[in-house]
Amino acid sequence: MQDKDTLTTNAKDVIDEGVEKGLSRLTPEKISKVINQVLTKETGARFKAYVETCMRCGLCADACSIFLSNDRDPRFSPAAKVKQTILEMIKKKGKVSKLFLKDAVRIAHAECNVCKRCSMYCPFGIDIAYMMLLVRRICHKLEITPLYIQDTVNSHSATMNQMWVKEDEWIDTLQWQEEDAREEFKDLRIPLDKDGADIMYSVIAPEPKFQAGLIYQAAVIMHAAGLNWTMPSTPGWDNSNMAMFTGDFEISGRIAKAHYEAAAKLHVNKIVMGECGHAFRSVYDVGNRWIGWTMPPVKLVHAIDFYHDLLTSGRIKIKEKYKKTVTLHDPCNVSRGRGLHEKAREIVNILCESFIEMTPNREHNYCCGAGGGVINCGPPWKNTRMVNNREKKEQLERTGAKVLIAPCHNCHSGLEDIIEYYGVEMEVKFFGDIIYEVMEKEIYQKRRLK
Amino acid sequence: MKDEKSWDWHSGKKEIPVKEWQNRFNWVEEPYVSPDGEKIASIVNTDEARFSVCVNGETWENNFEKAWSLKFMPDGRLATLVSNDEEWTACVDGVSWETRFDYTWDLKFTPDGSSIAVAVQKDGQYGMAVNDTIWDRLYENISGVVLSDQGTSAAVVQADPLGQGDIEGFSSGIFCAAVNGVAQQEKFMNIWDLSFDSKGKQLAYSIRKNRVDYSISRGSQPWKKNFQFSWKPEFIDKENSVIAPVRQGGKWFLFKDEAPFWNKSYGQLWKLAIHGNGKKIAAVVSDNFGKWTVCENDETWNFYCDTIISDLFYSDNGNLLIAVFKDKGLWDIAVNQKAWNIRADKLWSPVVSRDDTIVAARMEKDGVFYLVVNGKVYKEYFDMVFEPQISPDNDKILLKTMKNGIYSRQILSLDKVL
Ligand code: SF4
Ligand code: SF4
Repeated sequence: MQDKDTLTTNAKDVIDEGVEKGLSRLTPEKISKVINQVLTKETGARFKAYVETCMRCGLCADACSIFLSNDRDPRFSPAAKVKQTILEMIKKKGKVSKLFLKDAVRIAHAECNVCKRCSMYCPFGIDIAYMMLLVRRICHKLEITPLYIQDTVNSHSATMNQMWVKEDEWIDTLQWQEEDAREEFKDLRIPLDKDGADIMYSVIAPEPKFQAGLIYQAAVIMHAAGLNWTMPSTPGWDNSNMAMFTGDFEISGRIAKAHYEAAAKLHVNKIVMGECGHAFRSVYDVGNRWIGWTMPPVKLVHAIDFYHDLLTSGRIKIKEKYKKTVTLHDPCNVSRGRGLHEKAREIVNILCESFIEMTPNREHNYCCGAGGGVINCGPPWKNTRMVNNREKKEQLERTGAKVLIAPCHNCHSGLEDIIEYYGVEMEVKFFGDIIYEVMEKEIYQKRRLK
Repeated sequence: MKDEKSWDWHSGKKEIPVKEWQNRFNWVEEPYVSPDGEKIASIVNTDEARFSVCVNGETWENNFEKAWSLKFMPDGRLATLVSNDEEWTACVDGVSWETRFDYTWDLKFTPDGSSIAVAVQKDGQYGMAVNDTIWDRLYENISGVVLSDQGTSAAVVQADPLGQGDIEGFSSGIFCAAVNGVAQQEKFMNIWDLSFDSKGKQLAYSIRKNRVDYSISRGSQPWKKNFQFSWKPEFIDKENSVIAPVRQGGKWFLFKDEAPFWNKSYGQLWKLAIHGNGKKIAAVVSDNFGKWTVCENDETWNFYCDTIISDLFYSDNGNLLIAVFKDKGLWDIAVNQKAWNIRADKLWSPVVSRDDTIVAARMEKDGVFYLVVNGKVYKEYFDMVFEPQISPDNDKILLKTMKNGIYSRQILSLDKVL
């Protein structure tokens, strides 16, 4: 384990090539022009109210796990993050230095998960996450976004998926998973472009790229549940959206458009999305609204909701409950953002014999520490992230559970990093992993006819 | 070419039992029906990892390790993408192309059926193949594949390699449009929304010039003016002008050749519909957050829906402007501002008669399928309704349906439906 103090100091010295190169190109004129444009032309009453209302009461500080992980260093409190970035930009009328901007990138991209936990504790509901996203918007326009997440956004813009998955690689992966899954169900299909299916299943690009087994599991679950489903062969299959987290709202909107247009073209009743939280935020809240869709134009169901329905309706039956003691991490975007935490608990209780709550939990849960695009800033920022996740590590350890269910991709990867880095004895699972392990591998219709 | 005149518009009902196919094959995939309704086909699994195509109960002679993307062409031929020995190609009416690829997808045809195109990957390089002939030059990657009505193929191609995490290389602009495999000169940071003129000669598209500046390019000639964003452009005025939705100051405008064209701006403006080379122009717009309507020649419809307008198009004569929309969670159709009020769970884009008197669509409601004509729901319901067709003399409807495992093709006289 590394010395925390060294790491905290190091956070300021992180060299991110994308940020460094971007800063080297900036002129004082460009800096003030962009900042003033964003602050005056892209904000409204909400921004003004936030800036004017904060009383520096500090009630938000203890809500932030990054603040707690850094021994309550006041610099890490939510209000201080605003003070060190936006307020300074306003005060200086955009005339800030490159050094200042380097700090602003770090604060907004690496020291805030835009998790919105602090807003729940602020007497005025001030949305610090919104302010940090505004800083990221400025960084985006100044072209000083951290390299790894920028590369992800570039991929989104060119391919409509976040991992440079080529169009043939996507389809080929689905066909390969379909073939493998026929070992279990000889007539299993991953129906491509099935016009008029009830469900379009969408995933995030790391699934075809690195975790194709999750598509296999989903296909087995869909098949066993006897559902009329499909996946699009064309772009729009990836529901993720890192552009939303770099402040590239234009690309973020185009991504959301591609997703919903794929569903509308297939005339499906609903989109069921895999276990991902930020992707849910994108298609349910952010990307759709930039387009002008106040609500999803095609009904959108998160995996938690979907599995809950399958398990409570008996479409998927459990052979034998999962034996190991589990705990549950509530992903911010589907818990605080959508209130799916009670359903998640019901699923755990249907699937598992023994469940220990972590504290705090439900909508009060701490962010995994990876969310909000923080993990996507990549290796240069990993040590910083690990230091900032100390509180999360302690929360996990307090449960004593050996299995951690995290129904979100970002959370999953972030929690695995924490476990490995701090040497916590835990393994992370998706709901899909456990359902696949304990379900009866029989087709719903056939079973009903018995 | 669809030759509706030669179709059988007189026989009452023709039936093909399809359910029994289930007993002949390990599994039968979803059915597709020919435009004239005389053929129904499915990809079928004949043996372990062996697939074929079953048409009206007859199976193609050849079979494949894999087959997908089964589609009837407008002229009634049946095409699909097939693989044997890990090589892919297109197969039409059971005859495979000679050229083989490492992968094929995005199967497209011209309306007259003279050109069949696919996106292809060969040795890790990307391009298109049209009528069994692969582009002369292949590229690092491909997206946004299009085929003009005349058979010109085009796509966005990645002209230069890009290393992992190379954001500088990306910013330098590595994408260009390629027409029939030939890369256009100008490269951009991003290209989307390829749009052919009606002759298939010129191409216009959305571009991103740098991190924040977006615009439109006509061929390799980008507009000088920059915008905050843009959507798919279209050619008008005998292909002399390009119009496009562009975003400025947080609002959407319709521009023509770099100058404002419509007066009003919107919260959203896209999906242009064009008639008569631009005599009539319409777009899906939102002038109030979350409320959608249609703007035609700068005048907004007296109509709103709260969810989405998914399709907008003119009838061939331009007399009807038709919108497929969703309001309060249910799908509907509006013709010249007037909503049908059919409140469907699923709804497909309608077909229109040559004289504009009949608009017919298929829809699903409460788990069963119906035919809807001019807003009136036909009494009978089915397990599936395929795309209807209207007779050239505008007085009959070809209804193609599935019920209890029997496919049926029937001709309905209009008075029976309305
Ligand atoms: S949004 Fe989350 S990470 Fe950011 S300051 Fe608030 S509590 Fe901390
Ligand atoms: S709790 Fe609200 S008012 Fe108090 S310091 Fe935090 S943001 Fe400001």
